[in-house]
Amino acid sequence: MIRLISAKKTAPSAALLGCLALLSACVGGRESTPVVASVPASIQADALVGTWGLAAYHRDSDRPRTEAEAKRQCNNPYVIKRGPNGGVIMHLADVPEPQELVLKGGPGGANFLGPAGPPGLPEDREVFSVSPNSFSVKWVSPENSTRYGMMIYVRC
Amino acid sequence: MKGPKLTLHNSLLRYLIILISACFLALPAAAPTLAAGAAQDEMQIDDQPGYIPNPTDEHLEGPLERQVVFFRTTEPPGTIVVHTNERFLYLVQENNRAMRYGIGVGRDGFQWAGQHKISRKQEWPDWRPPPEMIERQPYLPRFMAGGPGNPMGARALYIGSTIYRIHGTNQPQTIGHAVSSGCFRLVNDDIVDLFERVPVGTRIVVKQAPSL
Repeated sequence: MIRLISAKKTAPSAALLGCLALLSACVGGRESTPVVASVPASIQADALVGTWGLAAYHRDSDRPRTEAEAKRQCNNPYVIKRGPNGGVIMHLADVPEPQELVLKGGPGGANFLGPAGPPGLPEDREVFSVSPNSFSVKWVSPENSTRYGMMIYVRC
Repeated sequence: MKGPKLTLHNSLLRYLIILISACFLALPAAAPTLAAGAAQDEMQIDDQPGYIPNPTDEHLEGPLERQVVFFRTTEPPGTIVVHTNERFLYLVQENNRAMRYGIGVGRDGFQWAGQHKISRKQEWPDWRPPPEMIERQPYLPRFMAGGPGNPMGARALYIGSTIYRIHGTNQPQTIGHAVSSGCFRLVNDDIVDLFERVPVGTRIVVKQAPSL
């Protein structure tokens, strides 16, 4: 398990850890790679576990009604389970099979959710505004971000 | 002498009448020529939320391009007539004319016919993927607020109290094909044009020619 001392002093360390994580992924192969967070995130995986109404918007002016719509989608919810290695079971963009994803701390206190590795991978999404009843995510990949906009999860 | 001349004249007249009738019958048949091929042409493509098409792809050419055409109907001007098999939507105008739009229609098993009125108009409508799509693509949001890149396109006209709509699309390549779950889709420029022309309460007639 990798532990870090201080988020502010971690820039070179994060890069080093990222390289290590990448190297271990290359050597061991993705399937056998243990799920290791390169930098501790300020969010716990348990905060994301649950049953959620899921909605998305592109224009900030649509956020309030999108939140309301997310709540209405609880009849067809998105379920996030805890993974066996401390992560969460979720989908990557356009991948129909769920997999275990980890929370990763990034520069400036940002939190990313994605496959094991350095924070901010194209497959990652950045996690915002986490509260007991909702959180928002935006994909790091510009293509996915343009397509899906800001996605809101509201607890059912 | 008079008898045979009259007979010849009558024959010529009959021939002319048949010829003219054939021409008139051929006119409405000209549009289905496109449809005959299109009717077979079912497109298997999922909605692409957030996809913003190239503007040149949104410009239709040929028969699918928006245009005024000769159109014989008993429906009064202002009526929307959808010929599902032809892949055309007509907005009836005066003097046997109509504005014709190329459309995408429902796939086999999702096509329908009937008469309704436009019950509601919406700019930049929201999108709710159907449950079967969520089953295939569980990562999709269950609701996406309207805007550019939204699969519902720039405008929507709601058809009576049905689940069907006439709407825009962010997939211009689907126009002319059987692709939807029963809605009619137009490229965004066309749905904006139609949206401006028709008020709520407009009569809509959806025709579905029986397949042989």
